[in-house]
Amino acid sequence: MLEVRLDSWLREFGPRGTEKLDAASVEQLLDALEAKYPRLRFKLRDETGQIRRYVRVFVDGQDVSESTGVGTSLADVRTVDILHSIAGG
Amino acid sequence: MATDRKLRILLGTRKGTYILEGDAKRKKWKVGAPAHEGSDVYHVVADPRHPGDLYAAVNNGFWGPMIQRSRNWGKKWTEIATPLTPSGKDRQPAFNDEDPTTPVKRPLNNLWHIEPSLASEPKTIYLGADPHLLFRSEDLGSSWEPIPAINEHPGREKWSPGAGGACLHTIIVDPRDANRLYIGLSAVGTFRSEDRGESWVPVNKGVETPFLPEKFPETGQCVHHVSIDAADPDTFYRQDHGGIYVSHDSMSKWVRIGKPLGDDFGFCVTSPTGAPGTAYFVRLDGMARVTGEGHLQVWQWNDRSKKWKKLLKPTDFPGHFGVQREGIASDALDPPGVYVGTTTGQLFWTPDAGKTWDMVPFQFPGIHSVSVSSPPSK
Repeated sequence: MLEVRLDSWLREFGPRGTEKLDAASVEQLLDALEAKYPRLRFKLRDETGQIRRYVRVFVDGQDVSESTGVGTSLADVRTVDILHSIAGG
Repeated sequence: MATDRKLRILLGTRKGTYILEGDAKRKKWKVGAPAHEGSDVYHVVADPRHPGDLYAAVNNGFWGPMIQRSRNWGKKWTEIATPLTPSGKDRQPAFNDEDPTTPVKRPLNNLWHIEPSLASEPKTIYLGADPHLLFRSEDLGSSWEPIPAINEHPGREKWSPGAGGACLHTIIVDPRDANRLYIGLSAVGTFRSEDRGESWVPVNKGVETPFLPEKFPETGQCVHHVSIDAADPDTFYRQDHGGIYVSHDSMSKWVRIGKPLGDDFGFCVTSPTGAPGTAYFVRLDGMARVTGEGHLQVWQWNDRSKKWKKLLKPTDFPGHFGVQREGIASDALDPPGVYVGTTTGQLFWTPDAGKTWDMVPFQFPGIHSVSVSSPPSK
């Protein structure tokens, strides 16, 4: 069971704090989150399925947003953090 | 929601939606609490067919575009359906309809313009978006249908974006006939449809493209905004990258009228419902893209006398102001009020067709769009 820690800004769309989920990949994890919180759909990923530019996904502390992205395996992973990036002005 | 006597100015800004409430006197304004804080809001519009209904094109830098609707003049907002591209029917399918294993090719970028249709089709709304996309809802935004003749137009591979993106920013429904539509896209030009969007013809004849090798191509014009004349729906006023134009034949041909201004660059135009035959433009320096000669310049075109009138003196509002394509709006009263929002967050207005001007004593975030919900005439 994975621990998923979610950006507090995402409360607007449903999730609060930490979730416990089973998922083999980042894609499956996001699918599971969106199934539980439908308003999350298209907030973390665009409709092409790619992680949005200013959304960051950390897998056991490693930012995979622009490397392996949604295809990242979550085998033997304990924690996933989903945050918004430092951007804007 | 019942109709009331208030006049509302709706602002889309770099940091959210603002609504100002006043009345037909247009002397004082009450600035309400912001909504959609932190999001770029490119357009906010009232639906006059359903008093109290407002729509906002919210483009959040982190979470993407979303349409929000209020049913009580902005007291509470709710996210409603946002269309997918190119062929999704609502927000449900995450993949290409025709081949579920293939993700769709183009993510929907910013939402640009929301246009409620006529009273004769009270649940129809149009939406313009980036990249060069047009959608229609027949259920007040609960679901959206793409308009394939634009979204899958065979020429779109050659369509270029403007500096603001591949935006479809202008949508006009002929007030006599809901089947006749007009759209404007950057940097593509204007199109007209006679069959409710089933087919389109480019209508840019006479509009110059100083930024292209060909001077008068069929498409490729960087139209910035277009306004329809309230009394003559065959007449349109156009602020283009290449100058200011008027058409008297449903956009079939355009005549440049801006040359007497010298530099007739700008982004915005409005033709007030209460003053047919006139149009208001904010003249900008074509290089700097801010008001020229160091002061706010609003110019009134009188289409009957064919004359320009400069409405502000250099000493009225000195400064270099930027004004975007939706940055000017007018109300439906007589004499008309005209409202100008700047990229540095000032909101100027005149309650008397431009004779007197003032500035709302509130510093807004940079203003993307201004629109007005006028009280019903007595």
